[in-house]
Amino acid sequence: MTLKPSKGISRRKFMLLSACAAVGFGTMSIGKRFQALAASKDIIPLSDLGNRDVFTTCGMCVNKCGVIARVRNGVIEKLDPNPYFLKSRSMLCARGNAGVDSVYSPDRLKYPMIRTGQRGEGKFRRASWDEALDLVVKNLSDLAEKYGRAGTVFVSSEEFQEHFFTTFAECYGSPNTLRHPSLCLSSNIQGFGATFGTNPTPDVLNTDYIIMSGANRSEALITPDSIDMLTGSGGRRKLVYLDPRFTKTAAKADEWFPIRPGTDMAFILAMIHVIVKENLYDRKFVEEQTEGFDKLVPHIEAYSPEWAAAKCEIPAEDIRRIAREFAMAAPKAVYYQGRRSSFFDNDTQMRRAMAILNAIIGNWDKIGGMVPNSQIPLEGHEFVAPFYEDIPERLEANAATYLSEKDGSWKYFRDRVLEQKPYPVKGMMIYKQNPLVSVANREKTLKMMEQMEFICTIDITMNDTACYSDVLLPEATYLEREDPIESLGGIHPVLVWREPCIKPMYESRPNLWIMQELAKRMGDEMSASFNYTMQEYREHQVKNNPEILKALKEKGVYYEKDTPTYGQTIGKKLKTKSGKIEIFSQKYADKGLDPLPVYKHPESGPAGQYRLILGRTAYMTHGTTANNAFLFDIMSENHIWLHTSEAMKKGLKDGQMVKVKSPLTTESLRLLITEKIRPDCVYLSHGFGVLSKGQRLIFGKGGSDAALVEDFVEPISGNMAMHHTFVEVTAA
Amino acid sequence: MTTTITNSKNIIGFSVLGLGTLLGLVSVGYVLMIGHSNAYNLTRQIPWGILISTYVFFAVSCSGLCLVSSLGHVFGIKEFEAIGKRAILVAILALLTGFGVIAMELDHPFRMAIWVILSPNPLSAIWWMGTLYGLYLILLCIELYAFIKENHRLASLVGLVGFVVAISACSNLGAVFGLLEARPFWHGPYLPIFFILSALVSGCALLALIVYFNHSLRGIEMPPEYKKFMITLGKLQALLLGILLFFIIWKIIPGLYEKYPGIYEATMAALSGKLSFNFWFFEAFLGLILPFILLLNNSTRTPFGVMLAGLLTTVGVFFMRYDMVIAGQIVPMRISDGGKATGVLHYVPSVAEMGIVIGSICACLFVYVLIEKKFDLSHTGHH
Amino acid sequence: MKKKRFAMVFDISKCIDCKACTVACKAENNIPLVKDNYRNWITEGPLRGKYPKLGQSYIPGQCMQCANPPCEHVCPTSATYVNVDGIVLVDNKKCIGCKYCMTACPYDARYYNEKTGAVDKCTFCVQRTSVGRIPACVETCPTKVRVFGDLNDPESEVSKLLTKHPYRVEKPEIGTQPFLFYLV
Ligand SMILES: Nc1nc2c(c(=O)[nH]1)N[C@H]1C(S)=C(S)[C@@H](COP(=O)(O)OP(=O)(O)OC[C@H]3O[C@@H](n4cnc5c(=O)[nH]c(N)nc54)[C@H](O)[C@@H]3O)O[C@H]1N2
Ligand SMILES: Nc1nc2c(c(=O)[nH]1)N[C@H]1C(S)=C(S)[C@@H](COP(=O)(O)OP(=O)(O)OC[C@H]3O[C@@H](n4cnc5c(=O)[nH]c(N)nc54)[C@H](O)[C@@H]3O)O[C@H]1N2
Ligand code: SF4
Ligand code: SF4
Ligand code: SF4
Ligand code: SF4
Ligand code: SF4
Ligand SMILES: [Mo]
Repeated sequence: MTLKPSKGISRRKFMLLSACAAVGFGTMSIGKRFQALAASKDIIPLSDLGNRDVFTTCGMCVNKCGVIARVRNGVIEKLDPNPYFLKSRSMLCARGNAGVDSVYSPDRLKYPMIRTGQRGEGKFRRASWDEALDLVVKNLSDLAEKYGRAGTVFVSSEEFQEHFFTTFAECYGSPNTLRHPSLCLSSNIQGFGATFGTNPTPDVLNTDYIIMSGANRSEALITPDSIDMLTGSGGRRKLVYLDPRFTKTAAKADEWFPIRPGTDMAFILAMIHVIVKENLYDRKFVEEQTEGFDKLVPHIEAYSPEWAAAKCEIPAEDIRRIAREFAMAAPKAVYYQGRRSSFFDNDTQMRRAMAILNAIIGNWDKIGGMVPNSQIPLEGHEFVAPFYEDIPERLEANAATYLSEKDGSWKYFRDRVLEQKPYPVKGMMIYKQNPLVSVANREKTLKMMEQMEFICTIDITMNDTACYSDVLLPEATYLEREDPIESLGGIHPVLVWREPCIKPMYESRPNLWIMQELAKRMGDEMSASFNYTMQEYREHQVKNNPEILKALKEKGVYYEKDTPTYGQTIGKKLKTKSGKIEIFSQKYADKGLDPLPVYKHPESGPAGQYRLILGRTAYMTHGTTANNAFLFDIMSENHIWLHTSEAMKKGLKDGQMVKVKSPLTTESLRLLITEKIRPDCVYLSHGFGVLSKGQRLIFGKGGSDAALVEDFVEPISGNMAMHHTFVEVTAA
Repeated sequence: MTTTITNSKNIIGFSVLGLGTLLGLVSVGYVLMIGHSNAYNLTRQIPWGILISTYVFFAVSCSGLCLVSSLGHVFGIKEFEAIGKRAILVAILALLTGFGVIAMELDHPFRMAIWVILSPNPLSAIWWMGTLYGLYLILLCIELYAFIKENHRLASLVGLVGFVVAISACSNLGAVFGLLEARPFWHGPYLPIFFILSALVSGCALLALIVYFNHSLRGIEMPPEYKKFMITLGKLQALLLGILLFFIIWKIIPGLYEKYPGIYEATMAALSGKLSFNFWFFEAFLGLILPFILLLNNSTRTPFGVMLAGLLTTVGVFFMRYDMVIAGQIVPMRISDGGKATGVLHYVPSVAEMGIVIGSICACLFVYVLIEKKFDLSHTGHH
Repeated sequence: MKKKRFAMVFDISKCIDCKACTVACKAENNIPLVKDNYRNWITEGPLRGKYPKLGQSYIPGQCMQCANPPCEHVCPTSATYVNVDGIVLVDNKKCIGCKYCMTACPYDARYYNEKTGAVDKCTFCVQRTSVGRIPACVETCPTKVRVFGDLNDPESEVSKLLTKHPYRVEKPEIGTQPFLFYLV
């Protein structure tokens, strides 16, 4: 059995597999083993040996790693990694291991609740499901009456059962769904999409040369990249890393450059300059597969390494050298595009530059290069949404050049709600998103919520957004739910699902049930769109290959092959207008955008102020996990990072409290003095400084980045631009 | 007139001791209620705090008292014979108090009672500590009994055995620390030897206190032979303090000389760091230098002066035990925290820990004074 | 069956300080969630160099499963003992909480567990390893820094790693003979 692609199975991998095989055996004879062990005093015997090992999928972040849940006595005792799970390479991160606390946390939402106090006061009363659902439906009907169906926005983030929520939105008749990509990766998708027709995946495992900028894979974990980055290929691997901070990726990199924030494009353009000028690009590939290279040549003329060095503060000779090394390693070389691109207001064009750099070395769809994602197809769920007349366009239609119809743009949407133009939005349905923590400029989000006549939140815990809502519906957690099959695309596409490990605790319910109950109350026409059980839904998804269900049951994952296929798109038309890789984008030109990326230097801040940059830690997911007892144990507060030299100038001491003042507000934070950051930046991690007292571990701890950060925007994709904020730091 | 003054003094004295004891009892109750980890300021890095050092203080004082008093009834030095019974009584009280304090430090004193017997580990210095001091307590009781029954043969026989056990017990207590290779500041043969020497110092100091106060408390003039004894004791103590001084100096110098990791930081903590006030003021000045001067000087080497020196030394020794216990643990076992200097660890006793310590001292004195009042302990011995 | 000698080998060049191992251990072994309570840890090595030329390693640690364990020697009630596979364990009911072992361990590998009322430390996940599974921290480690196995078996991966690569142990001068090996 081979599990790993081309590089073959390591012995360790094999060990893991056999260890897993031993699990079955172990569970059978575990009782006897325990007795023997207990007699030899090696262990304390368990009282009940009723075992159930459930193959399911982690829900602690976007990666969806494979999990085996060890259920003992009806309690989920431990989550172990699923060794069959190709994508996550048989691991669970700190958060994945901490998942049990999302089930057993005392702070989770247990019952439907109806607000009794002021919004945000956190006073709710327990209600029956009937009462809560009736109240939601009454409000949805009233809102439709008063403001039309577009008057309610459906806010959600990615999740296996999100589909039922957006289906509900569509059936309800609102064009306004507002998803997380405009806080996350919209510019990325846009920039690469405009070039390749898709957002490809870097083949990290097999590449020899990676340049990473604005992607911190040792901490912002993406499977399998975070793992493959280090597993890498036989000693030849080189990792060049650009980040204003010395992160844990920097610690693993061969070279780290503390790049000046927002200047990555200068570095990339200079690399293109060198590669083009020195004829290091893949001439054949460029001729056959790309469009507009001829226009690139004069375009990059001015972007010399010397020019770039002055912008990005990376020495010209290093840029030149790296460009050469990169081209030499081609096609097994990738300029890794990362994921979150809610950094700067030129992020789309910056990603375009990244895409072009990758294109000219000809790493497209080759081993060790940029590989377009494959996906195992699933049968779609068809439904007929009721027809309503006079449904307007999205509220923020045309605000961004390329607005995603389904995802929208948080920045533009919220502004228009506040302007009440072109029409009022007075209702908010929220599923698995926490905008008060995730969306820059918290004050504005609070204002937006204030003017809502009705807010309903479906969540698992009393987060800030829930705290400001009127009705709370408790969803069952990922470990309690039976979820649809999900097709995870990538170089190794897989199918995954979720099996319930235990019955939903308290009165929590899966989202499908909640949507069905709401739809029932909305009327027969809507109800018809939810007329199935989860089992039927899954069977429908795999109706072309029911074997999949069996594989999922046995291994928790399904894949068709364990080796990637390269070159599937070679010789085929890409999903761009020309069918080729568009170095020059006619599409952009037509819209009045720069058809080739033009460098725009980021503004400098006022003297004595620091640029606030954001980013992940490996043990927290966004704003959702800080209150998890296991993770709180590791990190109980977020600190503001400041370079040693600056702290010295200001006479500040490590660990003291400081005031961090942005144009929006001031937060009190504990200071961390470190060499690991550029002297002109400060850094703050995410998820603390919450408003909700219902998050008992972290309430009152740390400060909120969402409150400090201003809401600039990337106008092509509508993505939030969160690194344009400058702050003062003074002793508290 | 005089009696009323002594009476009211007595009442005040007893109330203070009683209140102190009560404080100790309240602290004990509090600890039993909320659990050790909540009541004590101990961490995984500094698992031993002031309760251990107080236990050491009592246990070594007990050994010291017996060693010094054995000069009389074992080695027949006439002047020392006068205080045999009292010294043994105080030794018993000190040891019992020490046991009480360490029982509060152990999480499971009752488990101990069972498993040290059922599952002994003769490699363990703590096992020996329990065994030796346990045995020692029994010997002390027999010795006291012999004294009361005026069975001198038995007394000096038991005294001889006791002498050996006392030296073993207190040097073994030094070995509890000295055997730990993990703790460079403690490690080595120094502490076992140092414990014997410092036991003698403690013993002399306490003896001076006992002799002085058993007269003054009862309001009787000190007979001349006791006065003479006090002076002799003072001279002996001066000698011991002088030696002790050199022991301490020779602990410091190697600690600084090679900058040996673990020893250097701990020594610096004592000299100029977190423990430096304790060290310079209590240990060195109050406990050593001042009494040394008092005892060297003919004009201050009076019974009162010797008593005062003893009192100061006893206080100094109490801090010496504390500093020794803490300094050994103050250097973290895992250094480096991202290049930031972690420095030495931090420990201050919690309120409950202090309460137990104060309580234990008061209780010990309370019982002693009570016995002193109720029974006639004056030596009636003739040979 | 032949006697085992379990050991762990760390390829610290791969450690990203993600703390998955710490959380996995706490979850697997029911460790009370208080900061001081942990069986394994990651230390940030000293920051090498000066900005902007910096370097740093992350070093995982836990009980070294010493072949010459001072914690066992000092334990008055033999609550700390070594099992047949060379794993140093604590028999909870015999532990009197004297904490002597905590002062004796040169690696700060032990803590007092209020829940069990005994001193606690890494057990090499004896509940798992004795039924042929690997320890929780090893299994979960994303970058597979940790390798666990039987040194008495020359075919085991730990044996092979140690024959192929140079390695070091922590504080060898103390003579504890640790069975945690760090590849260099
Ligand atoms: N542990 C963990 N893993 C996660 C997540 C999580 O919450 N926790 N979230 C997942 C999600 S949704 C996403 S989108 C991804 C995000 O993954 P990434 O985009 O990789 O993560 P971030 O931490 O947001 O940002 C990466 C780095 O960019 C640096 N940076 C800031 N400004 C600049 C700049 O101008 N130039 C350069 N070169 N660098 C800059 C920051 O210092 C930061 O270290 O992570 C995913 N994985
Ligand atoms: N300041 C700042 N803002 C950021 C970022 C940043 O780095 N800094 N990162 C941005 C990025 S990349 C992204 S992707 C977004 C993410 O932003 P969000 O999508 O808002 O993500 P989370 O903060 O993870 O919030 C998810 C919510 O889902 C809830 N939840 C978890 N599991 C379940 C479940 O099973 N069912 C239900 N119903 N609810 C559940 C959690 O309690 C939490 O309230 O944030 C963006 N915003
Ligand atoms: S990366 Fe961690 S949190 Fe995310 S899915 Fe995987 S195990 Fe879960
Ligand atoms: S799980 Fe592995 S990579 Fe993560 S901190 Fe532990 S040893 Fe290091
Ligand atoms: S590391 Fe410490 S606890 Fe573990 S065996 Fe060695 S001395 Fe004992
Ligand atoms: S604390 Fe427990 S395990 Fe440690 S030495 Fe004392 S009795 Fe032994
Ligand atoms: S081997 Fe088991 S007990 Fe030891 S650190 Fe790893 S997970 Fe914890
Ligand atoms: Mo994201």
